[in-house]
Amino acid sequence: MKISSVLIGSSLWVAALLLALCGCTKAATPQATDNQAELMSKSSIVFSGTVSQLAATSFADVPKSANTIVVHVDSVLKKPAAVSLKKGDSVTVEVKDASAFQEGTHAIFYTDGWIFGSGVAVKELGHVLGEVAPTAGAEAKPQGQEQLSDQELRERMNASDFVVVGRVTDVRKWNAPKAKSGAPLHVTEHDPDWHEAIVEVESVLKGGQVKGNKVVVRFPQRNDVAWVSSPKFTKDQKGIFCLNRDRATGVPTTKLGGKQVNVYTCLGHGDALPMSEEMRVRALLKNQ
Amino acid sequence: MKAVACRLRFPSFAVLAALTALFLSPLAAPLLQRTAGFLLARGQAPAPGSIKVVNLIPASLSGESNQDSEPFLAIQNDSPQVMVASAFTPNPFSMTGNAPVYVSQDGGNSWVLNAIAPVQRMTCDITHAMATGENHPRGDLHAGTLACASGITLDESESVDVSSTATMNVQSTRGNVDQPFVRALGVSSGDRIYVGVNDFNHSTGQTATVDVSVDGGATYKSIPIETRKTAGQDGPSVRPAVANDGTVYAAYFGWRKFDGKTATSDVVVVRDDAAATGPNPFQALKDPSDKLPGRLVIKNASIPWSNAPVLGQERIGSTLSIAVDPNHSAIVYVAWADKGSKGDIYTLHVRNSTDRGVTWSKTDLPRTTIHNATNVALAIANNGVVGYLYQQLEGGRWVTHLLQSHDAFTTSQDRVLATVPADQPAGQFLPYLGDYDYLLSVGNEFRGVFCANNTPDFANFPQGVTFQRAADFSAKTLNDGAGNLVPISIDPFYFSVPVIP
Repeated sequence: MKISSVLIGSSLWVAALLLALCGCTKAATPQATDNQAELMSKSSIVFSGTVSQLAATSFADVPKSANTIVVHVDSVLKKPAAVSLKKGDSVTVEVKDASAFQEGTHAIFYTDGWIFGSGVAVKELGHVLGEVAPTAGAEAKPQGQEQLSDQELRERMNASDFVVVGRVTDVRKWNAPKAKSGAPLHVTEHDPDWHEAIVEVESVLKGGQVKGNKVVVRFPQRNDVAWVSSPKFTKDQKGIFCLNRDRATGVPTTKLGGKQVNVYTCLGHGDALPMSEEMRVRALLKNQ
Repeated sequence: MKAVACRLRFPSFAVLAALTALFLSPLAAPLLQRTAGFLLARGQAPAPGSIKVVNLIPASLSGESNQDSEPFLAIQNDSPQVMVASAFTPNPFSMTGNAPVYVSQDGGNSWVLNAIAPVQRMTCDITHAMATGENHPRGDLHAGTLACASGITLDESESVDVSSTATMNVQSTRGNVDQPFVRALGVSSGDRIYVGVNDFNHSTGQTATVDVSVDGGATYKSIPIETRKTAGQDGPSVRPAVANDGTVYAAYFGWRKFDGKTATSDVVVVRDDAAATGPNPFQALKDPSDKLPGRLVIKNASIPWSNAPVLGQERIGSTLSIAVDPNHSAIVYVAWADKGSKGDIYTLHVRNSTDRGVTWSKTDLPRTTIHNATNVALAIANNGVVGYLYQQLEGGRWVTHLLQSHDAFTTSQDRVLATVPADQPAGQFLPYLGDYDYLLSVGNEFRGVFCANNTPDFANFPQGVTFQRAADFSAKTLNDGAGNLVPISIDPFYFSVPVIP
């Protein structure tokens, strides 16, 4: 993950949250603040807007229902870079409870994407009623396309056996041992071209003690579509790594320093994070 | 959308409100589309005849710059305005949400992205087909998808309404397979589905397999179609083709030797005359040389295998296509690529049979031997005209051709659909354009999909092109709909070309 995208994403998140909080007509209670922070974290598209139509859609191809409303966008607070959405656009929102809205209702909409065509349709995760004071330059710049949301990162870390801070001291190719049975080839375009990274562990953020201070992390070096999101390791790379015991290669142990040790994998997008993410990672782990 | 959005940005509030009310009323919805279509037509060169080329990326995803490679297409035959396309397009808003497909309900003029594939974020292989046997006017989509996480998992799944946003229903799943390739035929009793796969679960190394369902996907039977000794496996591509009378062919690469760089391979065609419902499916064709099922169209072809860019920025190793005349199942064509002459990287060949695959043309059909080309796709129209889609590396450009012939390529019509720089953009992963593209026939049209550099430049699309995404054809740049420049990337393109008489 690029550091710049992380910094931009984090600062935008804070800016967007402040904007959302400051713009509410009602004073935000600590609980409301927490709820909004949680909603912001879970949502991929957040905007303030004014309801312009009930039981309607903003473009063809979106199934119209009593729960679809059209919202005129006043300000975009959060969105992926790929999504074209800006002030003045009309968005279809599938809301949870249409009775909460009337034409002219102002609200902040916390949503996830739904259908993308000539316009944007989203599904409501939550909303906060109230008018948001438009601020010059308040439009959020987009998140990096590849950035994990807090929710996604939290789920990823929950699924990890270990989360460690470490440095890659070596990278080497790993060939699976030939099957004694003479099992046939498995040649595919998706061949992972396994490599091993030796990671010197500086601290363990999740998962208890790591035996020794080094772990072996097996990763696909191939630039095939199957592995394009998997982290590729380089010598001297430092970062935060979400590790799972190797269930991918069929050979879950290897020799390291003369000892047989467990092998780990780090296969998912966002499983290797730059050190700039350390505060966010620690905060998410702490708040579990 | 781009043009409409520009209108909405600047007027006074009163005008804005009036325009909004007008545009968003249900009655005005078609007008909005026509308006958008008219305005976007500024980016559309005059098209000879009625050839249509459309960039699939919707206006609302104008900010994307993914490598949306390896396209595929399914057409609802009873309602051919309804189509589903796919590519290596990630979920645009979630790292953990479903992978998307593109859906058109207006004959390919506009497309929306709908995240319904049963795979997280992005597939690592997807093909699909829509049959007509179960009376689902906006379905019945049958897909074969690979999910690539810690391992590779095949899902065979169904959607009975592709306009809905419900996740496709997984009907069958297993691991250790490669490159599912779906064809389907609707019959009164339900959809028949044929999924070619390279199945590594066969311990004999005879991996070419067709998964068959004759009950709309409720149950699948996995049928090995390789009967000869292999080099440990067959090639990745296993391609079924289905005629209206229930004849089913399948083509595959029978790998006899493999040294890591070259596969010595037979091109094999099997046939079944009863929709693969009998006790010994796919054994109707036997080769005279060894009396085994599977006719050897070509023996010991030398097929280069590279999981690195060698043909431009594309990898090579397993391009194969087969097509049967839908109304005359004795007529069948097969195309493949192998190592050509010296100085050539990858050469396409097309051969045909007019006696149900028993005998084949001894040499390539006229004008079908194409050098330095890949992504072959064949289809045969109702009038017997054969379509031959391929992408050739010519003078530093990827050139997408569609040939048509009504006389086995003695004469043919060639239409260049795209000619784009091959060195831009830089590849993000492999495959660069795809390990395949696709061609189908419906009515009097050939319809298909290919991937290409998405620079909005009329010179790159000789038949004209329509972009849904925000594009400035004067400046030859893309933008995100708000005026910010977006880098060029690989996009999927849909096309429709009239079948020649």
